[in-house]
Amino acid sequence: MTGAGGLLRFMLRRERFALPWWLAGATLLVLVQSTQSQNLYDTPEDLANLRRTLGGNTAVIAMSGPVRLLETIGGEVAFEILAFVSILVALMNMFLVGRHTRADEESGRAELVRSARVGRAATLAAVLGLALLANLAVAVLLFAVTAGTGLPPAGSVLFGVSVAAVGMTFAALTAVAVQVFESTRAAYGAVALVLGAAFVLRAAGDVGSGALSWVSPIGWAQRTFPFVDNRWWPLLVPVALGALLVTAALALLGRRDFGAGLVRPRPGRPSASPALGSPWGLAWRLQRGPVVGWAVGLFLLGAAYGSIGESIEQYVADNPEVAQFLPGGAADMINAYLALTMTTLALMTAAFGVTAALRARAEETSGRAEPVLATGTSRATWLASHLSVAVGGSALVLAAAGAGQGLAYGLTVGDANQVPRLLGVALGYLPAVLVVAAVAVLAIGWLPRAAAVVAWVAVAYCAVIALFAESFDLPGWLRRASPFAHTPQAPLEALTATPLVLIALVAVVVAISGYAGLRRRDVGY
Amino acid sequence: MNAANGPAIEIAGLTKSFGRSVALDGLDLTVGSGEVHGFLGPNGSGKTTTIRVLLGLLRPDAGTARMLGQDPWRDAVALHRRIAYVPGDVTLWPTITGGEVIDLLGRMRGGLHRARRDELLERFDLDPRKKARTYSKGNRQKVALVAALASDAELLLLDEPTSGLDPLMEAQFQHCVHQAKEEGRTVLLSSHILAEVEALCDRVSIIRLGRTVETGTLRELRHLTRTSIAVETAQPLSGIDALPGVHDLVVDDHHARFDVDTAQLDAVVRRLAPLGVRSLTSTPPTLEEMFLRHYGDEETPTAAAVAR
Repeated sequence: MTGAGGLLRFMLRRERFALPWWLAGATLLVLVQSTQSQNLYDTPEDLANLRRTLGGNTAVIAMSGPVRLLETIGGEVAFEILAFVSILVALMNMFLVGRHTRADEESGRAELVRSARVGRAATLAAVLGLALLANLAVAVLLFAVTAGTGLPPAGSVLFGVSVAAVGMTFAALTAVAVQVFESTRAAYGAVALVLGAAFVLRAAGDVGSGALSWVSPIGWAQRTFPFVDNRWWPLLVPVALGALLVTAALALLGRRDFGAGLVRPRPGRPSASPALGSPWGLAWRLQRGPVVGWAVGLFLLGAAYGSIGESIEQYVADNPEVAQFLPGGAADMINAYLALTMTTLALMTAAFGVTAALRARAEETSGRAEPVLATGTSRATWLASHLSVAVGGSALVLAAAGAGQGLAYGLTVGDANQVPRLLGVALGYLPAVLVVAAVAVLAIGWLPRAAAVVAWVAVAYCAVIALFAESFDLPGWLRRASPFAHTPQAPLEALTATPLVLIALVAVVVAISGYAGLRRRDVGY
Repeated sequence: MNAANGPAIEIAGLTKSFGRSVALDGLDLTVGSGEVHGFLGPNGSGKTTTIRVLLGLLRPDAGTARMLGQDPWRDAVALHRRIAYVPGDVTLWPTITGGEVIDLLGRMRGGLHRARRDELLERFDLDPRKKARTYSKGNRQKVALVAALASDAELLLLDEPTSGLDPLMEAQFQHCVHQAKEEGRTVLLSSHILAEVEALCDRVSIIRLGRTVETGTLRELRHLTRTSIAVETAQPLSGIDALPGVHDLVVDDHHARFDVDTAQLDAVVRRLAPLGVRSLTSTPPTLEEMFLRHYGDEETPTAAAVAR
């Protein structure tokens, strides 16, 4: 353990940019939910209505949590957000632990540290200390934001600590995973799989008898029933499991070589397949994982949105205040709901499009673009190869989202035609998504160092305009600058070709302008 | 291949700065067709920047650069089909195997020799099935070397290609460069390993602070330097110190050790002959010494003379 204190201070310094964003994200998520819920259901009657409509909707329960939480308004907040904020905090812990352990070992940085007067277990001890501090911060911030928005303090404390307990469980789990796997990616993959399983198990448990929720870390947190029963004892499970996992991680660490894992990576192909013979093949190979991941993720989210479509009409009829958040008001309710959720899915696709376009810049700064550009590959081809993933991948992701929504909604209302209908609606957003990706290209060409910032500001801007323009009363010109403002809000509005073609043209012009910048500048700077 | 078509690389007055830092400050470089040209200089002297200009990755601020008779910026793609490049710091895609990278780079360059690829893998003892993430620096370098050497390129641009290789692999590398030369290919070999350059290169350019300070064949460069002499004579040695061009003289009765400017060697040998030479060893100057003269300012002859 020698040197753990010094390492912890060093880690805190390395985390001074990334960690605050995670904490702010979690805090913001709960803040928005707490204020929104308290505005929507400010009377006991509203809450009783909600219990009646949601109590029987298995889709909502599967996405949120146990119905028992709906007894109080604080419980309603926990019902809606606890699972999601837990996932966010679990991911924060996974990256936190992985970054300072296996990733450092893989890059060779840890070798320098270990050659100093530092014990074998010092890094692990320091990173677990760091995770403890981070989760303590989560607990304090979530307490502050729930109690601060007027929820009872006793429940607020338990709410914060429950989320922190999920976080700590996943920190300990990642500590084990990084001993087992030789690569950071594999460790993240295993932990993410457990996280996904944790969500699915609690969903199955909450819909069914509840037994399965007890094998899920998220389930333990939800079953403290903060603001309803305020019971602390379920948290004994994550405490015991965490201690067990940390002991296991330390034991494994003492048995393995530096840089090695317990699972040896399989050897790969000795020569390239015919597909991997051009910059196009390379770009798709590099991004096929993310493309599949986003497509599956948005398919599931689309399915989740689609599955509650039917009960939305009923729900909004009971809660007229909700209607003001939907374009088109109370009339044509279901189409308005589908249009709003589709906009949300399209905005997420825009985020994918931006990551795919920014991949070109990442290749450049890492030095991996250099060997490619030193072959018979022109800059235009190289850029186009990465953009083909942004364009084709976005279309694929949107199609998956539309198919998911159409399938789930079609199943609940018994109408197979919903699949092609919502698929078409989803693809109608492709031009708008491509404009955002094109902005990333423009920045790569002319402001390469600021490209990531510019691109993500564009995504955030479109999200704010699309989702909050009505509530914030933003000036018209600011609203009209977003490509999403010009995309017909299908299926609420009819899809027409003219605006879509024009938006697509804008995307093409912006992307070509970006290439003009890339063509004349130095590569790698 | 096209040995008669003039120089493979012609750079004159090349200037490039990044913000306020000047990377190239009027660099000149001429590499003849079919020759192995050593490109020497310490870290940060501008070797990599020069190669990146030749690859059309950087746009020069001033000066001209021609490669294989074409403009590296304008004709980048056409040129790249005729050259192969090994970067000094090889970064690869972590999830792609070494074998896949070799094939990919080869195909993007316009094809590679299957048999030669396999022979090179054997020669460099490289496992092509491993993901690039797990390769050491030396192995990543081998991947880039195999990809470059298995190609048909007329011109090889090698940026410190052996900095991560062990001596055994270094010998294999030298064999491959000799082979490339026999096939009539041109090689620009940037390095700061002098033994490598001495073993391989026909001509050498030494750069410093973005400027060429010396260029020529090894023989021409040695002409500018001193030869070390150790001599034993029948009669006691005297009068040597009075000769021009003699430095660092140590006389011990019948024995003497000194350095002599190579231009003055003839006069010194004439002076020694009447004394009855029993043994004489002369050591030709190494690049090491030339290097030190260029980069160690305090080692200049005048400074050394004043110190004495």
